[in-house]
Amino acid sequence: MIDCARYRRSMMTDPNDSDPQLREYQRSCHECGLFTERLLDFESRLDRALRVAVPVPADAATRADSGGRTVVPLRAASQPVSRSASLGKGWLAIAASVLVAFGVAGALWLSASGPTLAADVVTHMAGEPEAWRRTDVPVPAGALQDVLRDSHLRLAAGAGMVSYASSCRFRGHQVPHLVIQTASGPVTVMVLVHDRVPKSVWFDEQGYRGVIVPVAGHGSLAVLTRGTAADLSAIEHIAARVQDSIVWTG
Amino acid sequence: MKDQVGGNQRRARFQVLCQSLRPDLLRFAFWLSRDRALAEDVVQETMLRAWKAQDSLLDEAAAKPWFLTIIRREYARSFERKRFVTVDVDELIAREEPMLAVAEEQNLAEMRAALFKLPDEYREPLVMQVLMGFSTAEIARELGLSGPAVLTRLFRARKQLRVLCGEDTSLDPQE
Repeated sequence: MIDCARYRRSMMTDPNDSDPQLREYQRSCHECGLFTERLLDFESRLDRALRVAVPVPADAATRADSGGRTVVPLRAASQPVSRSASLGKGWLAIAASVLVAFGVAGALWLSASGPTLAADVVTHMAGEPEAWRRTDVPVPAGALQDVLRDSHLRLAAGAGMVSYASSCRFRGHQVPHLVIQTASGPVTVMVLVHDRVPKSVWFDEQGYRGVIVPVAGHGSLAVLTRGTAADLSAIEHIAARVQDSIVWTG
Repeated sequence: MKDQVGGNQRRARFQVLCQSLRPDLLRFAFWLSRDRALAEDVVQETMLRAWKAQDSLLDEAAAKPWFLTIIRREYARSFERKRFVTVDVDELIAREEPMLAVAEEQNLAEMRAALFKLPDEYREPLVMQVLMGFSTAEIARELGLSGPAVLTRLFRARKQLRVLCGEDTSLDPQE
């Protein structure tokens, strides 16, 4: 039998526990609802606080593309260093290639939040390769609504054909992860209502190009494509189209 | 020839895997050590050891806990080597102030300073849960604790953190 004390203790051990009994109890008790609201706000700040900026190589300064946008390379290759004298010669060669790949050496800890968020979006992509299929089969309307409902939004028809919709765990929250089929191929959209960016952040990393745009009062929107040949203007256009198609319901 | 191609593909996959996990591994190492330079050293050593031992990673889905185990061991090794005797939290905060202060909001900087003050035994499972997305069972396995012990630590971690951050705790439960 759940009571207020038990409910709150459970939430303090895992505020994102999706146990239906806990959710039902939360709805039935006003004070527990208030407690949960405060705790989730705290949890959101905790999640963001833990995501300290990660290093990028010292030579990985931002660069501008032909359209004048600043593109942030999240992890460019850097020069290898041999830091462990105890390693054998063969290991030094392997270590060098590993360090080049990881860009660990000579790194700076970026001070901006944008690249960190972009890095997390790119990292998330690696976990869902099936989302990138080129298809003309739309996701069922009901399934799409389910994914969008918790983030208090719906998508008008102008966004394009949605071929993939999933509610994904990202930075401690469930967020909509959509794939929209466009003339230039599938484009991924993540609606990041809990992550604000002060201005648009462009990124180009690990085979993904995209942009995170601020959405006034509703966090941000990440839009990205696979392939480094993707035209940034096209991505920008798609981001604007998706943003125009979002109808906030809460 | 065929073996060489297969080996190259496997190594390439492993590199991609490492790259995708690296940001969170660095963050975990930072919160474990509370030292930016040490975190970079630990992750660098971890990557080298992981590269050497990549054949022992049989399931890519288990990569995160696999790397985390290596990081914790590497951190323990560095701790033994450097023989840290005492940790002055205020000194640590001052040293890492540039990093702590880059938060876009002042209250994130305060939260980070509070996390520095949290005892290791509470901070580590909390970081594993919130940052790394580990379940209670996974945390228990990694730390060698029982499930209830992990829950107790998570409870105390949040409770202390909320007090340190000056949150309104009037509705918070007692242990």
